Amino acid sequence: MQSCKKSGADSGSNNNSFDRKGLLSNVSTNIILPAYTSFQTSVNTFNAAIVAFNAAPDATKLTAAQNAFIALYKQWQWTSLYDFGPASQANFRVNINTFPTDVTQINANIASGTYNPNLLANLAAKGLPALDYLLFGVGADNNAILVQYTTDSQAANRKTYLATLTTEVKTRTDAIVSAWNGSYKATFLSADGTDVGSSLGQMVNQLVYDEEILKNFEIGIPAGVQSMGTTYPTKVEAYYSKISLQLALQHLQAMQNLYLGKDGLGLDDYVAKVNAKYSDGRLLNDAIKAQFVIAQTKLQALSDPLSDNITTNNAAVVAAYTELQKLTVMLKTDMTSSLGILITFVDNDGD
Amino acid sequence: MLVSTLRFISRGWVSSFYIKPRFHFTFYGFGWVKPFGEAGTYALFAVMAVAALMVTIGLLYRAAITLFFLTFSYAELMDKTTYLNHYYFVSIVAFLLILVPAGRYFSVDARLWPQSKVDYVPGWCINIFKLQLVLVYFFAGLSKLNYDWLIAAVPLRIWLPANSQLWLVGGLLTQLWVAYVFSWFGFLFDLLIGFFLLNDRYRGWAYLFVLIFHLSTGWFFKIGMFPYIMIFVTLVFFSTETHLKILKAIGRLFGAKLQNVAPDKTYQLPSAAKEIVTAVLVLHFVLQVIVPFRYLMYPGKLYWTEEGYRFSWRVMLMEKGGTAFFHVKDPQTGKRAEVINSEYLTSFQETQMSTQPDMILQYAHFLADVYRKKGLQNPVVTAESYVTLNGSGSRLFIDTTVNLAAQQETLFGHNKWIRPFKDNK
Repeated sequence: MQSCKKSGADSGSNNNSFDRKGLLSNVSTNIILPAYTSFQTSVNTFNAAIVAFNAAPDATKLTAAQNAFIALYKQWQWTSLYDFGPASQANFRVNINTFPTDVTQINANIASGTYNPNLLANLAAKGLPALDYLLFGVGADNNAILVQYTTDSQAANRKTYLATLTTEVKTRTDAIVSAWNGSYKATFLSADGTDVGSSLGQMVNQLVYDEEILKNFEIGIPAGVQSMGTTYPTKVEAYYSKISLQLALQHLQAMQNLYLGKDGLGLDDYVAKVNAKYSDGRLLNDAIKAQFVIAQTKLQALSDPLSDNITTNNAAVVAAYTELQKLTVMLKTDMTSSLGILITFVDNDGD
Repeated sequence: MLVSTLRFISRGWVSSFYIKPRFHFTFYGFGWVKPFGEAGTYALFAVMAVAALMVTIGLLYRAAITLFFLTFSYAELMDKTTYLNHYYFVSIVAFLLILVPAGRYFSVDARLWPQSKVDYVPGWCINIFKLQLVLVYFFAGLSKLNYDWLIAAVPLRIWLPANSQLWLVGGLLTQLWVAYVFSWFGFLFDLLIGFFLLNDRYRGWAYLFVLIFHLSTGWFFKIGMFPYIMIFVTLVFFSTETHLKILKAIGRLFGAKLQNVAPDKTYQLPSAAKEIVTAVLVLHFVLQVIVPFRYLMYPGKLYWTEEGYRFSWRVMLMEKGGTAFFHVKDPQTGKRAEVINSEYLTSFQETQMSTQPDMILQYAHFLADVYRKKGLQNPVVTAESYVTLNGSGSRLFIDTTVNLAAQQETLFGHNKWIRPFKDNK
């Protein structure tokens, strides 16, 4: 008649009760809020550095601004995962980090002296990638960069643009932090189911989405994976400041941290509780943890500037991509299926 | 159905499912069924809603129900992504409703054209609905007769704990024995309820079970209108007296009175139509019995290959998830590119496609077209797809060496490029 063979692996646990509220509480208190707060702190430091630089541009202040920027961009890697709730409503991720940046659009904005932050065309002319260009890319070295802010004909406009973009990042960040410190945290804690609108559902979906950004946009597309081997080294994140690999490593670490719940209740505990198995018989949780480490190792075999590695050591970059891809499958398919969470960004009926 | 259509429109689903996608997974032989652009597709749904309203109040009944059947079925045929057993059910019921004179009593038509009013209809007008429902419930039950559902209690042992936050029952749902109780109850309920509903003595109790079953599944699972449709349609099993009581109650709400205008008038099909209608009904029910068994024609595990899965009342039967990566190779240079699916498919389409091989094949053909337009002469399209079934752990689904662009889509053929379920190394 029907199939008499079983499909799934045996789940031995008799009690699958898991403290989802505890997970949400741990994640929001110990991971998400600190991430946003740290980001806010870095933004403030960066903003102060830009203000100082603009007031009297010189080599020392340029370096200070650049260092503050690097710290900020690294901190961003720990913040981009949470694009739900207030961040999602404000389109935070795309407004802070749409890359590669559009140099033509940036220069057009500078030349015209006008900048409309709401224009779709300006998404690629703002945020951290644009600041990356403005601080590291407008000249071949720091002396040349400094010229762009001192004696160049557009220097005044350029400084204004630099300040405007920085302020925008600050304003948006402050709004998100306020929302989380305000009513959103309670909202987050109360939606403790696993359905599409639940906090866990949204969090998992964004974790997967962000992992695919790392895999596709930070590594894959620049390495030529989507383009029949034609590489696009300039499309990496932080192309001008040349810290792409460091950022990728931070990004992966942030995801791992979220998965582990830092030192408290995390997805790892949930996956372990339901006794989910991987296809080779291992516990799924162990497989995922191992895969994070493997992906990390492959990335650590590369070096900055990643854009150069892509050309000189493409095979190693693709090897890192392959391991990130395996991680995608484990998170997007195995983990969600074992927890009864749907991967979806849209509401729909099931059957 | 009026409520359902309005709900569908108000949730923005017309846009997300039918207007936004640049590609649709049409059914075999129905490739010509396309959305009509934004305005046209909304018009389709508007007509659907109006037709549903007209059927509800009984205005120009035959025209309205035919229109509803056509618009509803057209919408469903546009994309396999949105296939749901209960949409299939609605199409069937709408079709059967065309054949019966449901607009001749307690309707606006009866008001406007009193000479068309009838008080009695031949038994078959009611029995076809009872038969249809018995078949639906029975096959739903039969489909649960397998190891996974009954012995391993999957997928319920995965789905029920995911609802552990529900008021009162949440804690119970995490217990494994509860998953077994639900699995077995669901199986026995589906298999037997149709027969209990047919029986005069047990009908009342049976309906109580129907209510409990559908209300609780509606509470636990995201299945939209299905439970409510079933709750109301199952009323067809009740006697004339019961229905008259219900109609009287509704009548009171509107200040209308039930009238027995033509106590001796029984509806009769015109004799020319009799033969045609009989033939149509016979064909319909023969198909209803045969179609759910067509999976037997195919080798392999049904849940895995899904060959013969749709249109068989397999409702909420398995937990299956997948991720599919497609590669397009240029045979001339040997170079290949990985496709980012979100460029071509909505996330809903992508999710549905990744576990259903016929959709994977259709998408591969679409990709081949896309790349041909980009200038590639004979693009080779392969799928690296990973699927997990009822907690099995993800494994390769499709043979990654097969050029899907060269594989034919067929109505009944077996797709040999689906890897066997157990062969995962």
